[in-house]
Amino acid sequence: MTDTPSEIGERIVVLLPRLRRFARSLSRNQHDADDLVQSVVERAWRHLGQLKPGASLASWMFGIMKNAWVDNLRARQRRREVALPEDSGEHPAVSPVDTHTSLWSVSEAMNKLPEEQRLAVALVLVEGMSYKEAAEVLEIPVGTLTSRLARGRAALAVTLSGDDGGNPA
Amino acid sequence: MKYDDETLMAYADGELDAKLRAEISTAIHNDPALARRVEHQRAMRARVAGAFAKVLDEPLPDRLLDAARGKPTPVSAADRGKVLQFPARASRPPPVPWRAREWAAMAASLVFGVLLSWRIFSPSHPEVMVASGDALVARGALADALDSQLASEQRSEAPVLIGLTFKARDGNFCRSFTMGATRTAGLACRVGGDWQVRATDTVPASGQMQQASSALPPAILGAVESRIEGVALDAEAERAAQRGGWK
Repeated sequence: MTDTPSEIGERIVVLLPRLRRFARSLSRNQHDADDLVQSVVERAWRHLGQLKPGASLASWMFGIMKNAWVDNLRARQRRREVALPEDSGEHPAVSPVDTHTSLWSVSEAMNKLPEEQRLAVALVLVEGMSYKEAAEVLEIPVGTLTSRLARGRAALAVTLSGDDGGNPA
Repeated sequence: MKYDDETLMAYADGELDAKLRAEISTAIHNDPALARRVEHQRAMRARVAGAFAKVLDEPLPDRLLDAARGKPTPVSAADRGKVLQFPARASRPPPVPWRAREWAAMAASLVFGVLLSWRIFSPSHPEVMVASGDALVARGALADALDSQLASEQRSEAPVLIGLTFKARDGNFCRSFTMGATRTAGLACRVGGDWQVRATDTVPASGQMQQASSALPPAILGAVESRIEGVALDAEAERAAQRGGWK
């Protein structure tokens, strides 16, 4: 780690557009996605010492985002369990408008995928990573990545091909 | 069905080994149904990738740029509510490691006083700086400007403006620069055949970009001060250094 902080900062700046795109494919709401990016960048600065020499800064930061996003989902789920009435009113899981939209956009379809499939689809299809790279970021074997990706893609195909937007699976 | 969806997906993604790839390529020629299945996989990939591609061209918010550069960022009241969604994130700025502390201290005085506005970030040209080994090296338009542009002759609307040129204590030439499109100011020093970027910072929105040297953010001026031997080159010396290939 002989990079000066300024150099590291600039390398992170260069990664920002991709980090935002990854975040956007995980979270439909743009503000939430940018919050996620900001928290990831701050975590990266705090834990810079954990980046191994020679390791890819990009892979490391995508990994941090994966963890941050999963943590965030868990926290949200816990809150929902604890404070259902208030939360469910504010953030309905499926709004009546959504269910009657005739066309499912890609991000809406992504949003319906189980989190592990969404991560695989986001890294490979959105970010263009190889299976090996994506598996490293997710800390899973390539075979597991491949099957999650295949299931995610199949589910997307079902959601996106159907004009039956009123009957989300 | 000889090939399952997972195999065809891997084929469409270019992930199969050469032997299986060749086998499927041949099979596709003789089997329209198989070709269609591969096409579906490709189309899905293109559709999903396409849906998010435009995010890369969106202007980057200041708060993300500041966070990326390790600067403490004042959090707006509206953002504060959101911050609470991340348990790991406290409302105070994150501790900044090592030497970043010095930069941050210098930058902080600036950052709190000036409203930064980010105009255009062009991720289609991110390659003006690339990481090379342990260093960040100038490329593309930035490298070209550092190589050949003279502060005394540059057009004020040039994408890269050169500020100070000077000889560092280690004998290498260094040049400060600003890039209007990304509001980046920096210092690059000649090492071997490369311009290694030693420091960067965000240029305040109200800065006079035309007077590149006087508008340098404190962090860059600090980087200049810590390296400069004697005084900055005048126009004639700058030209001579450029003709000499910065050696």
